[in-house]
Amino acid sequence: MKGLKYQLKNIRRDKMCILTFLLPVLAGIALNMLSGVSFRSISETSFGIVQDNLSDETAAWLQSNGCVTQYETRGELEEAVNNPSTQMIGVLQADDGIRTFLSGDELQVNKVIADTLPRIYEDRAAEYAYDKTIAPVSDENEGLKSLLVVITLVTAMFMGCTFNAMNIIGEKEDGVALIHRILPMTAQSYMIQKIMIGFIGSAASTVITAFICVRTDFLQTLPLLGIITLSAYIAALMGLFIGRFSEGLMTGIACIKVIMILFIAPPVFFYLAVPKDSIMFGLSYVLPSGATFYGLMDLLNGYADKMWFPFLILFLHAVFWSIAYRFLRRWRK
Amino acid sequence: MWRGFIHFLKKDFRLMLSGKFFILAFASLILYSCYINFIYVNMDQEIYPVYLYDPQGRQAAVSKYMIPLDDREDFEKACADQYSVGIDLSSGKPELYMLASGIDTIDNYRIIWAEAVLNGTAEGHADVIGTNSKEMKSRREITAEFLFFELSAVGFLGLASMLFKEKQMGVIRVHGILPASRAMFILSKLFLFLLSDLIFAALLTVWNLGLWHGIAVLPAVSVQTGIVSLMMALTGFLCAVRLPDFKQFSLFYLVIAVFVTTPVFLAGQTGVSWGWIVYHPMYHLFAAMKGAYFSEPMPGLPYYAACFGAIILLFLLAHRAFIREMAKEG
Repeated sequence: MKGLKYQLKNIRRDKMCILTFLLPVLAGIALNMLSGVSFRSISETSFGIVQDNLSDETAAWLQSNGCVTQYETRGELEEAVNNPSTQMIGVLQADDGIRTFLSGDELQVNKVIADTLPRIYEDRAAEYAYDKTIAPVSDENEGLKSLLVVITLVTAMFMGCTFNAMNIIGEKEDGVALIHRILPMTAQSYMIQKIMIGFIGSAASTVITAFICVRTDFLQTLPLLGIITLSAYIAALMGLFIGRFSEGLMTGIACIKVIMILFIAPPVFFYLAVPKDSIMFGLSYVLPSGATFYGLMDLLNGYADKMWFPFLILFLHAVFWSIAYRFLRRWRK
Repeated sequence: MWRGFIHFLKKDFRLMLSGKFFILAFASLILYSCYINFIYVNMDQEIYPVYLYDPQGRQAAVSKYMIPLDDREDFEKACADQYSVGIDLSSGKPELYMLASGIDTIDNYRIIWAEAVLNGTAEGHADVIGTNSKEMKSRREITAEFLFFELSAVGFLGLASMLFKEKQMGVIRVHGILPASRAMFILSKLFLFLLSDLIFAALLTVWNLGLWHGIAVLPAVSVQTGIVSLMMALTGFLCAVRLPDFKQFSLFYLVIAVFVTTPVFLAGQTGVSWGWIVYHPMYHLFAAMKGAYFSEPMPGLPYYAACFGAIILLFLLAHRAFIREMAKEG
């Protein structure tokens, strides 16, 4: 216990660790301050028109279906449509209807909208008296925002490996690692201390971030804490691996960079682009962050009853990596 | 004098080899290219799917945008993503069924889209005024971004890590008594990093844009690569000389990566317009790089004059800091 206190003191002096600790918290605060509205405008369909070209009625119709931006000349409009970072559809008056154009590099959804818009506009007067059942937004749907919150939380958890990896590498560089060998401390207790540093850093940073940007009721707090505990433990183990394999600070930072990319990018991609019941999606559970990510996403979307599966996967990961580290230590002795 | 320069080059090249710099660069090249070719180009967003529940088979012609489902439960599940729209024909009269997405304009469009699909009026064709297909645009866009990131963040780190190693080995102290020019010490490093960045840029471009498209943009891309590479290498040199240890340096690096490059990417990628972004110097470098990949007209003379001035200024600063550091080391 005394050793742990000393280790934590050591961490406190390390600015790199402090920044790692604060970064997710700051991101959480920033996310909280950005209202959902600014994210929403990104997902709206975007139309571009030329001033005084469309009738007021047409412009109003477009406005009810997307976000309309007005340009002074046709040239400006074409430039905006052609700009590779926009998904804008250009709309012009044609006879008694409208004509659309786009640059050809848009997403399929915008391509189809641009293709079919003139005909749909012609038909706008036909009031179809269909019954409509529109279920209101179940919770305060935040779409992109909840995705960003989960990414921040997963980053916070797995950044935990920085704390003990930096600590171990720093000790190696300062020669403290050599002194450790003659101290009356078992390898076991050394390992436990290092795991505890990573675990405490990771868990504390995540809990604070979650406290800032996740709104849950009491029943959901327990599964959330469970996921944080298991993930923080796995992150701490990763830190041990990095510390063991990197000789210098430079390699350590490169390793952390690779692990962070590997742990964060694939789950986001699989979650957004791969069907949930495919084999590919199942394969993404090979990464512990996959289970964490899907579990948190379910939790935020209100499916807390499905959480046992990510739990199980995380637990298996924790056991597997612990055993792997034990073997590694024996093998390398 | 030239012999001295070649010896410097040899020494720096060996240092880069021993620091595993090339392995790291090559691994990044493979990682980026795999991501671009297997993941990024395949990303797309489909039009709102329209699910049809029609147990009696009343709808004769099924549009290509329509997906018939036989089970009411499946139908409801398919519509639960707040993106799809369902049409229920079981009672004889069409009934729209969907979950609101929370954005009124999108919900509005989903309704008229479903009606158009049901009535078979979802057809037509828009004019195409651009030259890039979706795939080519994605390739150009993401290659520009990865190259910029690699140059600004990783190149910066590469030179600095080398200099820290030399500092540790006492090279700077030894250099003080050598009859070699101070500028040579900086120039040889700059030259090697510039060369390796240019090779990296050429490989990344040709690999991901294809041979012909790649070669077509390569001259413009090389110019921008040269500018960013020189600037970042000089900044890295300056920081590495001034900051006492690598740990503090990596802290500074983290700040650069997060606060300097992120807003630039956001502004360049999503088309959000922030007025203040024009005061961000990296934004102009990024815009020029992206412009080079899209074969847009090159930025004017003031841009190049500013870049040239900045590089000279950074070089002078680096030179001064280096002499000071040598004086400090004795």
